[in-house]
Amino acid sequence: MDTKVNNTSKPKLMRDAVIDTIYNAAKEDKNIIFISADLGAAALDKFRKYLPGQFIHAGISEQNMVDLASGLALSGKKVFLYAMAPFITARCYEQIKSVLASMNLPVTLIAVGVGLGYDHATMTHFTTEDVACMRALNGIEVLSPSDENSAIAITRAAINKPAFRYIRLERQPQRHLYRGNFTNEVEQGFVHLVEGVDVVIVGCGYLVHKALLAKESLEKLKVSAGVIDLFRIKKINAAGLISIISSYPAVVTIEEQILDGGFGSAVLETLSDQNVSKPLKRLGIGDGFDVVNGDRDQLHELYGIDTPNIVEAALSIIGT
Amino acid sequence: MNINHLEDKALWLRQECWNMVMRQRKGHIPSSYSCVEIIVALYYGGVARLTRGRPDAPNRDRIIVSKGHAAAVQYPVLADLDYFDKRELKRYTQPGGLLGMYADYKIPGIEGISGSLGHGVGMGSGFAFAAKQNNEDYRTFVVLGDGECYEGSIWESAMFAAHHNLDNLVAIVDRNDLCILGRTKELLDLGDLEGKWQSFGWKAITVNGHSFEELLDALSLIGTTSGKPLAIIANTVKGKGISFMEGRPEWHNRIPDEEQMKVALGELGLKTMAET
Repeated sequence: MDTKVNNTSKPKLMRDAVIDTIYNAAKEDKNIIFISADLGAAALDKFRKYLPGQFIHAGISEQNMVDLASGLALSGKKVFLYAMAPFITARCYEQIKSVLASMNLPVTLIAVGVGLGYDHATMTHFTTEDVACMRALNGIEVLSPSDENSAIAITRAAINKPAFRYIRLERQPQRHLYRGNFTNEVEQGFVHLVEGVDVVIVGCGYLVHKALLAKESLEKLKVSAGVIDLFRIKKINAAGLISIISSYPAVVTIEEQILDGGFGSAVLETLSDQNVSKPLKRLGIGDGFDVVNGDRDQLHELYGIDTPNIVEAALSIIGT
Repeated sequence: MNINHLEDKALWLRQECWNMVMRQRKGHIPSSYSCVEIIVALYYGGVARLTRGRPDAPNRDRIIVSKGHAAAVQYPVLADLDYFDKRELKRYTQPGGLLGMYADYKIPGIEGISGSLGHGVGMGSGFAFAAKQNNEDYRTFVVLGDGECYEGSIWESAMFAAHHNLDNLVAIVDRNDLCILGRTKELLDLGDLEGKWQSFGWKAITVNGHSFEELLDALSLIGTTSGKPLAIIANTVKGKGISFMEGRPEWHNRIPDEEQMKVALGELGLKTMAET
């Protein structure tokens, strides 16, 4: 696939890339409104300076931010809400359900620092449940890009086709995985990033990078692993995904979520609903996980979802 | 404005609500009755700028009844404005009918969904902000409950509206002093609501919420508040007009029996459903 790339140039923060994309569209479309609940970005400074009439600081008031967005959207505005992941999801979940989902309004929720992205901030800033809670919302689309270019392409699609969406951004810059416009991939909802034979590892966001590392380790053990970047978690392209997964004997899913109702569950449901039965191991966070100091990778190690754990899960499921 | 005409409209609206709710035995009469005069003042008192038969008229004033359990109070008015077929009132809560126990945004004239409390002022701020941004002169009226003011989101929205000088936004608090479990004063005191709204940067005024003179005087302040949004604390009686419901929290969603119905209709001066 020509979108895959070995690009060593320094990647931008996803949030800057996404806000720049919205900024460029907002210059041409006065109905685009960007609202932040006190989360910044270098790109946002430019937005605020040059398009002050289209920027709203909601205050640290996520509930009002969502209610306000509903009134703006009902008035024909294309609204983008922006905050740290834990506060734009569970903190105002009832608002999102009652006034966005219930009216299927074209509002895009942009979360920064999903999963364990705010590693040192620990428990209150982790979103180990956002996939489960957001994908349970009526009519929402849930997207979780793994690099700058896919984030930009997903944002462009959100601008061109306003709808009720949740976009999960990584807090830290991510190595480039894609080049080109990524338009067809956005449509498809996933990328079969690496083709393999023995097992396929499915993840999204930062976990795709971990899957790629695991794939390399497996290669040294003579195991050929495929990698799928399943960035559209809802609605999953069931037919497309199954056509790829069908060629593998086993599947490993990885996530920084409590396993109940999370990313792996979404994959399992998709397979089950299509009567596809595969050995499948879900790697994620178990109940009872505790607060510790450490960076994201150290947390992965502690919670049993690091690269060696992926390798181990892959070996175990294929019986070697 | 002819006050007698408004009194007639209030009686008519109580009758229509009664018929809808009693026919299906679903709904909230006391919460609806406490805001009948507020609704009549807005729709029939020369306040809201609306166009008969055109619920989507671009520059219409927006009215949100944020206390969604009182949605039934709006339905007869919206039908009377020819927003939808009056026969829908008889299909209230029925399968295939347009009108539910809580207000859905698909109903012509309902600006946004309600039922869950605490959303109306924020949603209304969105309408009001958009109006300013688009240089449109429509106004937004939000009717909310006093119990609804327990929701923290109301105060987030109040702060926002004042900061952005949304003087095209009016919040009318139907202060009937009751929530489901009892009197707000005793359960969790809401305190000085006028002072609270004022301290959040609103022009706030307290009126008798069953007096058309006082309601209309207060509503005439729109446009004179030097950039401030307007909060009207309307003191009301939950279940207004029915002695055994007035001020009695246990009637929040209770439906009277045959004997009680006769008493209520007699007190209100309403007809039985068979007579209407």
